[in-house]
Amino acid sequence: MEIDELNDLVKQHGKAIYGFCHKLTGNKADTDDLYQETFLKAMEMLHKMDASHNPKSFLISVAIQLRKNNRRKFAWRRRIAPTVEFKEEVDKICPPDGEASPENAVLSDELRGMIRDAADSLNDKLRIPLYMYYTAEMSVEEIASVLKIPPGTVKSRLFQARKAMKKILEVESL
Amino acid sequence: MNDSEKWDLLLSKALAPEAEPDEKLNQNIINGLKERGRMKRVYRKRVSAGVLVVVFTLVMSFTAYAATQLFNSKQVVEHLGEKDLAQAFDSRDAIEINQTIDSAGYRFTLHGIVSGSGLKGFADTAQGFNPERTYAVVSIARQDGHPMPDTKDPKYGEEPFFVSPLIKGEKPWLVNIVTMHGGYSEFVLDGIMYRLIECDGVEMFADRGAYLAISSGSSFYSNDAFAFNEGTGKISPKAGYKGASIVFDLPLDKTKADHAKADAYLEKLLKELSTGTATAPAASNDESNLANEIEELKRKIPNGKVIPESIQKVSYDNKGNIIYDYDGWHIKILASELFKEGQTGYSDSVQFSGDGKTNKALQFFRDEKGVITGKITILD
Repeated sequence: MEIDELNDLVKQHGKAIYGFCHKLTGNKADTDDLYQETFLKAMEMLHKMDASHNPKSFLISVAIQLRKNNRRKFAWRRRIAPTVEFKEEVDKICPPDGEASPENAVLSDELRGMIRDAADSLNDKLRIPLYMYYTAEMSVEEIASVLKIPPGTVKSRLFQARKAMKKILEVESL
Repeated sequence: MNDSEKWDLLLSKALAPEAEPDEKLNQNIINGLKERGRMKRVYRKRVSAGVLVVVFTLVMSFTAYAATQLFNSKQVVEHLGEKDLAQAFDSRDAIEINQTIDSAGYRFTLHGIVSGSGLKGFADTAQGFNPERTYAVVSIARQDGHPMPDTKDPKYGEEPFFVSPLIKGEKPWLVNIVTMHGGYSEFVLDGIMYRLIECDGVEMFADRGAYLAISSGSSFYSNDAFAFNEGTGKISPKAGYKGASIVFDLPLDKTKADHAKADAYLEKLLKELSTGTATAPAASNDESNLANEIEELKRKIPNGKVIPESIQKVSYDNKGNIIYDYDGWHIKILASELFKEGQTGYSDSVQFSGDGKTNKALQFFRDEKGVITGKITILD
């Protein structure tokens, strides 16, 4: 893959990668850092990347690895300097008046906040596949390939994540 | 629609990405990618907190060399993309030093420094750096001519360096680049590592004296590397330190000293560092609260919940570093940086991590047989 193609990837997959990084880090400053580092690292690994073979998965795998390597760095800054955006998201969480219908075209801020909070509370084993599936919109096979686990395990983790979240949300809604 | 499908829909809506990279960020990345080849990768780091309490060591030998083959301060800063700051380094008030000292196989060159008045004319520019700060450029090379690891090299960062201004008369473990809200940017070019450091201004200390200290072995200040004479206030490299340890005298213009401002600054800084005096909320961007936060976290450890699986004996690498790995924690450090000779029990150094909700503390324990064990405690 050539540099120009990588530039195209920024435009093509930037939103998905950024959204995923944001889920991992929880605030804008760390998201910006992780997002930039992901592309810079990808640039160094161009030889491993084939534009015709799912570069989005490759970029997501780079982001996961960087986040793992820099976990303490990101975690620290998040603790030291949580952004207003992050606080606002947390502030939104409050018990809903009634059970929201999943079929609603627009989720209430409260319910959205509760779901995100529940997802954030999962451990990485469940949380990362969940974000890869719903935020980065990757298929089970793509997730399996990036995480180097069988597709059946991905399905199982997604199932466990949904189950855990449901339990959390039911408790929260009481 | 069955229950599973409902949940799928709900999660799709709730977890869909809302945050988007702004155009400027994407453009920055694209520009960065385009510059590949002509500009090697730059690492920008804030001096972080995890190992703030860790202490370290080194020996030194003095040799003066001309630094003519190296880039000058302005070129280094330009390479880092800080055009306005590069101009400041080229200004009349900047001090070009180009002094070199060898220590423990490394050749350290202090290229130059700009501070306070030297920055005022550039403070309102687009890049908007702070005129109350001090910036200095140093380079690190191997004496044997072997190149320093490139930033792409896995060996990059294996030998960390502490580069910091220190103030004569002030305890260096309290007043250094970490507590002075510092950070640095770094790159390797032609086998030479260049580092631009920045921290709160030191010009106000010009009448009492200031140093630029460098040691190897850690990114943080080490009591093993430097000696502080409480009588004279002098700070010097400590004999017997195994790594590099050097001290440059900063030739600051004494007429620019501001004793009252310096006293007020130190009073505030030391107050921030003292236990239990944190006044700002955790949400503050100001890392000056870090020391207080660390103390606060340390007090929570006895009431925390130890993760049983985290209790693990450390292993050692061939350099004698202890290695501890658990659930994303990867610690590599010399035991001497955690424990004094003959010390048993818990190390004073504690490393923390947090995800915004839960804080965890990693402690190391050394028993009477010298076996070191790490354990992680959930604090909240």
